[in-house]
Amino acid sequence: MARNVGTSIPSVRRLRRRLIDQRAIRDQLVSVAGLIGRPVTLAGGIEAGRVGSVQAGRVGSVQAGRVGNIEVGRVVDVVTRMAGLRVPEVTGLVVRVGRRRAFVPVSHVSELTGRSVTLSSAQLDIRDFERRDGEVLLMGDVIDHQLVDINGVQIVRASDLYLAPIGQRIRLVGVETGLRSLLRRLGPRRFQSRATPERVIDWTDIQMIGEVGAVRLDRANRELRRLRPADLADLLEQLGQQQRMGLVDSLDPDLAADALEEMETDQRDRLLREIAPERAAAIIAEMEPDEATEALRELDDDARAEIISTLPEASRAAVVQLLGYDEETAGGIMTTVLVTARRGSTVEEVINGLRDLTAHREDIDAVLVVDEDGQLLDDISLFELAVADSSADVSTLVGPPWPIAVSPDAPLTEVVDAVLSNRRSSIVVVDDDGRPIGRILLDDVLDALTLAPAHFRPNVGDR
Amino acid sequence: MKPARNRIPAGIRSRLGRSRRLRRLAGVFAILGPGLIAANAGNDAGGIATYASAGAQYAYKTLFVMLLVTIALVVVQEMSARLGATTGNGLVSLIREQFSLRVATFSVLCLLVANLGLVVSEFAGVGAAMELLGVSRYISVPLAAVGVWAVVVLGSYRYAERVFMLLSLVFLAYPISALLGHPKWSSVGSQTFLPHLSGNKEFLFLTVALIGTTITPYMQLYQAAAVVERGSTADDLRAIRIDSITGSIFANVISMSIIIATAAAIGGRGPLASAAAAAHALEPVAGKSAETIFAIGLLGASLLAAAVVPLATSYALAEAVGAERSVSRTFRDAKLFLGLFTVQIVVGAAIALAPGNLIKLLLNTQFLNGLISPILLTFILILANRTRLMGANANKPAFRVVATVCTVGVGALAAFVAVQTVLGWFGVH
Repeated sequence: MARNVGTSIPSVRRLRRRLIDQRAIRDQLVSVAGLIGRPVTLAGGIEAGRVGSVQAGRVGSVQAGRVGNIEVGRVVDVVTRMAGLRVPEVTGLVVRVGRRRAFVPVSHVSELTGRSVTLSSAQLDIRDFERRDGEVLLMGDVIDHQLVDINGVQIVRASDLYLAPIGQRIRLVGVETGLRSLLRRLGPRRFQSRATPERVIDWTDIQMIGEVGAVRLDRANRELRRLRPADLADLLEQLGQQQRMGLVDSLDPDLAADALEEMETDQRDRLLREIAPERAAAIIAEMEPDEATEALRELDDDARAEIISTLPEASRAAVVQLLGYDEETAGGIMTTVLVTARRGSTVEEVINGLRDLTAHREDIDAVLVVDEDGQLLDDISLFELAVADSSADVSTLVGPPWPIAVSPDAPLTEVVDAVLSNRRSSIVVVDDDGRPIGRILLDDVLDALTLAPAHFRPNVGDR
Repeated sequence: MKPARNRIPAGIRSRLGRSRRLRRLAGVFAILGPGLIAANAGNDAGGIATYASAGAQYAYKTLFVMLLVTIALVVVQEMSARLGATTGNGLVSLIREQFSLRVATFSVLCLLVANLGLVVSEFAGVGAAMELLGVSRYISVPLAAVGVWAVVVLGSYRYAERVFMLLSLVFLAYPISALLGHPKWSSVGSQTFLPHLSGNKEFLFLTVALIGTTITPYMQLYQAAAVVERGSTADDLRAIRIDSITGSIFANVISMSIIIATAAAIGGRGPLASAAAAAHALEPVAGKSAETIFAIGLLGASLLAAAVVPLATSYALAEAVGAERSVSRTFRDAKLFLGLFTVQIVVGAAIALAPGNLIKLLLNTQFLNGLISPILLTFILILANRTRLMGANANKPAFRVVATVCTVGVGALAAFVAVQTVLGWFGVH
C-alpha cells in the first residue's frame, strides 16, 4: 500500500483511510452468530437432481447473477477442532437439511460469507451429526459461554465469534465481548451478519473452560503459563464449581500447585476436596512441603489420609513429618527444603548443586555445612558463597556468625525471639542430635506473626 | 518471595488467631444469610398489603393457600440456591448460556416489568407509611426517591441497609400480635391444614397476588446471585440448603401471622380500605401506638426494597450482557446500569404518586408479579433438572415431581386468572 500520499488535508485523509481500513477488516470478518440460520447453497445447478432427491429444498431460486443456485439447507453450527492449534480452524458446518442435522466438511465449502455458504460438492452425508472427541461447536459451546481472557486476566462471556476465511482455510480469530454485538443479535435479521468489532479479544489469548475446555490441551498450559500464579488463583476463585474443576484438570500439576498456593485458604480447601484424590495428590506433591502441609491440615481426616496415601514416596515422608508437629511450633512452620554440603565439597560444587534447585529458590537463602554425622556446623549465606573463592573447601567458610538453631518443638514465641534478637533472614531447625531438619524463613515468621496467636497482634484483616 | 498480591495470602488468613472449630462455625454463619434475606424480602410493602388484605377480606381462608405457597417457595428457593452454588453463575447468565440470548432477554424484560411494579409498590408503601405519621405522600415519596438514589449511588449503602433492616424488624411484632389477638385457633388450624379453594374470582385474584408477593421473581435471582457472590459452592450445599429452607419457612411464618393477626382484628369486614385499617392488627401488642409502629415497619421495609429491587434489575441486565463481575465491583462507573437504576426509581416514584387507592395499587403490582413468576419458575425448573449442567446436584426424580407440580400449579392458576381478567375487560364473565 502506498503510504506517502502527498495531501493538503492530511487529517481528513488519515481519517478516511482509517475508516476504509476498519471497513476492510469488518468485511473480512464473518460473524458466527450472524451465520447461523443462513442458507447453504449449491452453486449453479450441478447435480441438481441428486440434491433435489435428497430433500425438498427450494429449487432454482433466482438471484442477480446466480441463476439456479439450490438451497441445500441452513447453517446450524460451526465445527472446529482446537487441539494443538494456536489458531483453531473450522473443520466443517452443521447444516439442517430437511429434518436432519448433517455435517458438511469444510473442503466442500467453496465460499463462505457472512450471509451465505456455497458448496462445491453435492455429496452430502445426511446422517445426523454427532460430535466427535475434540470437536468444539462454536454456537453451542462457545458463544454465550464463559471464557478466560488470559491477557486481561478476567472471565468474559462471548457475545460473538469472528471467523476469517483465508483461502481454503477458515480460521477462528477473535471473540467479541461488546454490547453492540448482543443488540445486533437481537435485532432484525439483515443486520445480524454485519460484523461489529468493538471489544474483540484475539483467540490466542483465550482459554476455554467447562466440559469442552476440560479436554486436556497442550496449548492450555502454554498459554496459562503466561499468567502469574496469583492471577490464575484469582481466576479460579471467580469461576463456578464445574468450570473451576475443568480448569484445574487442564493444568499441569506444577502450575496448579503454584496457583493453589496463592488461593484463599477456604477456596483452596474446597477445591482440593472437589477434585479426585489422585489429582489432588499430584498437585500437593508439587507444592512446597510447608505449603502442602498447611493445605493438608485444613482437610478433614478422611480426605487427608486418602491424599497422603497417593502421594509419591519422597513428598509423603516430608509431609507426614511436618504434619506431626504442632501448628504453633517451629516444626509446624518450617520448610524441609534444605541445601546441605558436607565438609570437603568445594564452593563451586555447592553452587553447581544450587543450579538444579531453582524451583525452590524462594525457600533457599543459605547452605548448611554438616560434618560426617550430618550434624550442623554452620549456615553459609548465599552472599558468603558468592564472594568465596570457588575452589575453596566449604569448611573454610565455617566461622562466626554462628547459625541460630531451634528445636522443632520450640514454641512460636521462641522462634520469634530468635529471629528478632539475631536479625537473620532465616534460622535453622535441628533435631535432638543437632542434625538440621528444616529452616524457618523470615516470611514464615511473618505469616505466623500476622495470624496465629491472638496475643501477638491487634485484630487485623478481619472481615 | 511470592509475587505481591493486593490481598491477604492464603497462609495468613488461614490461621487468623481463632481456633479451627470456631472458624468452621464462622463459615456456616457466613453462608447462613442470603436465603433468609431473599425470602424475607417478600415481606415488603406489597407483601404486607396483600397479606393484610387477605386477612381482612377472607379472615383465615387464605391460610391453606399460604401453606401450599410455602412449600412452593421452599422448593423454588432451594433450586435457585443449588443452581448458583453448582454452576457459579446467576440465573440470567445460566438462561443465556443454556437456552439462548433471546430467552435471556425475554426474562430480563419480564423481570424489568415485575420489578418496576415492585418499585412502584415500595414507594406507595413509603407514601402510606408517612401518611400514617401525618406527612403528605407528595412530600415523602419524592424525598424518599432522592434519598434512596443518593444512598445507593453516592453514599454508604451498607450502612443504610442496616438501618432499613432494623426498622423493618418491627414486623416481628406480628407473630406476637397474632398470639395476643385471640384468633379462633380452631379455624386457624382447619383453614391451614384442610384443603380448600374457592372459585370466587376475587379470591383467585388474591391467591395469585399472594403467590406473586411470596414467590417474587427477583427473590430467586437474588438467592442465586448472593450464593455466587459469596463464593459458596456445591461443597457448602448443605449449609446453603438449610439456609434457603429455614429462610423461606421463617418468612412465611411471618406472612401467615400477618394474615392471622389482621383476621383476628378486622377479619371478615370486607376489603382492606387503608393502611390505617391494617395497623389495627398490631393493637394487641402496641395498643394506641399501633399506627406508629406499623408505619415505622412499613417505612423500613419499603425503603429497603426500594433500594434492593432496582439494584436487582440492574444486576439481571448486567448478567445478560455478561458484565456482572464488573457491576458488583464498580456499580457507579457502569453508566448503563446506573441509568437503569435511576430510571426505575424515577418512574416508580412517579407512578406511586398518581392519585388513587394505594392499597389497590399495591395489590395490582403483586398480581402482576404472580403472572410473571411462573415464567421464571419454568426456566429454573428446567435448569435444575439438567444433569448435563448440574451433574450429581440435578433434581432427583421425587423432587422433580414436586417441583413440576409446584411450577405447573402456580402457572395454571396465574394463566386462569389472567384469562379471566382479560375476558373481564371485554365484559365476558
